Amino acid sequence: MPPTFVIVGASLAGGTAAATLRQEGFDGDIILIGEEAHLPYERPPLSKQYLRGEMSFAKALVRPSGFYEENRIDTRFGVAATRLDPADRKVDLATGESVHYDKLLIATGVRNRRPPIPGLHLQNVFDLRSVADADALRAEIRPGRKAVVIGMGFIGCEVAASLRQKGVDVVCIDPSPTPLFRVLGEQLGQVISTIQRDHGVETVFEDVVTRFEGDGRVERVITKRDRRIDCDFAVVGVGVEPVIEFVADSRVESSNGILVDEYCRTNVLDIYAAGDVANHYHPVVRKRLRVEHWQNAMQQGAAAARSMLGKAKPYDAVHWFWSDQYGINLQYAGFQQKWDQVVVRGNLDARNLIAFYLTHGRIDAVVALNRGKDVRRVMPLIKARATVDPRQLRDESVDLRSLIESRLSGAQI
Amino acid sequence: MMTTRFVTIAQTADIQPGELAAFEVECVRIAVANVAGRFFAIDDTCTHEQCSLATEGTLEGTVVTCGCHGAQFDVTTGAVLAPPAPEPVKAYPLHVDQGNLVVEV
Repeated sequence: MPPTFVIVGASLAGGTAAATLRQEGFDGDIILIGEEAHLPYERPPLSKQYLRGEMSFAKALVRPSGFYEENRIDTRFGVAATRLDPADRKVDLATGESVHYDKLLIATGVRNRRPPIPGLHLQNVFDLRSVADADALRAEIRPGRKAVVIGMGFIGCEVAASLRQKGVDVVCIDPSPTPLFRVLGEQLGQVISTIQRDHGVETVFEDVVTRFEGDGRVERVITKRDRRIDCDFAVVGVGVEPVIEFVADSRVESSNGILVDEYCRTNVLDIYAAGDVANHYHPVVRKRLRVEHWQNAMQQGAAAARSMLGKAKPYDAVHWFWSDQYGINLQYAGFQQKWDQVVVRGNLDARNLIAFYLTHGRIDAVVALNRGKDVRRVMPLIKARATVDPRQLRDESVDLRSLIESRLSGAQI
Repeated sequence: MMTTRFVTIAQTADIQPGELAAFEVECVRIAVANVAGRFFAIDDTCTHEQCSLATEGTLEGTVVTCGCHGAQFDVTTGAVLAPPAPEPVKAYPLHVDQGNLVVEV
């Protein structure tokens, strides 16, 4: 009997893993199970080109529609996996069927957090994760309509930008002093705030929504500071939670996602996890972390597939993502939650800069506006956990490539 | 009928090893890469979001990485090596003639 590899979760991580198993020569059975009734697709366009009606769904597919059949990948889309039984090596499906696995990859991703705010159930209070969510939101977009965007993380910022680009009046609300405050800090958060305001977004900070009001459909948003903001629709983007109910009564350990090592292995033999759901040990950061990035879903999905085939290499890619807002290209590389210094190279006002987030002089992360080239040049420094003189980082005349070259030629490596 | 034309676009000394430069040839932007003294020409426009590969991108060996969203292409063939680029870029034959970079378009 050829072995059966089962993948639960048919998004970018799961779809890429299935494709990678075949690319790497796996000849057994592959069963790809996904709760959404769609072929695996990429989510970044949902808040941008797809939301603005500039891109078809077909262009967002991870692989073309014929790919799965051509590669003998048995797909079950629109079917939730409900329970994992590692003792019997089986996965129960919502249809009542059970599938046997020899190896299992969990790539169930995350779902949007639904805060307990009265009126959240009203019509036209949206959130955004799936193509169905994007379709529902897109149907409300018309010039001159009024929208409230709740939460100024990356999704909130991108949705606000797309709505403005389509002529919708936008008010944004966030409990922090700036957008993206937790990730970027105050200085860079202020730059994003200015970008949003320059494009006509009204920003409300250090306030939270306490109630949605309306007769059947939302008509206004009420905040803790007693603001009453009229709207035609609202979009809530206040964070996510990993989808882990599936493993609830198994021995698979979870804490802020499924816990895996640098080979994407859980604590249970032959069970792996990848993508947004995987709280993974990262050899560069030297601790566990869970991210919701396009690049991680793709690369970790592929890494997990190779690990399942016994070709494991530590997954140690420097995390990286982009966020396009109003034609400004933001890129972020690395991982940090706190820092003791932010060093900026470039010009904040011109929105042409790269900012380095340092801890004791070590570069843990960078964010760049319209400077992707510099991000690429710094990624080796992040991977090497390099300590660099902040003056060299700030000084435009210092070629960032020379900093890693001088390290590599040094005696310590 | 398509006719092949030979266009001198630059001198070898104009592009340092490990660098890319873009040139406009008959309304098409072409990126020329200097890979350790060997030169290759491809379309300069990334097939993902139309960023300039020469202006925004970085070259490592024969791989150019788009500076906007990280798509990678092989400068010797134009093939996609990493998404999100959906399609390859066109590669153009390039000849070095007495220090001139001559592209067939």
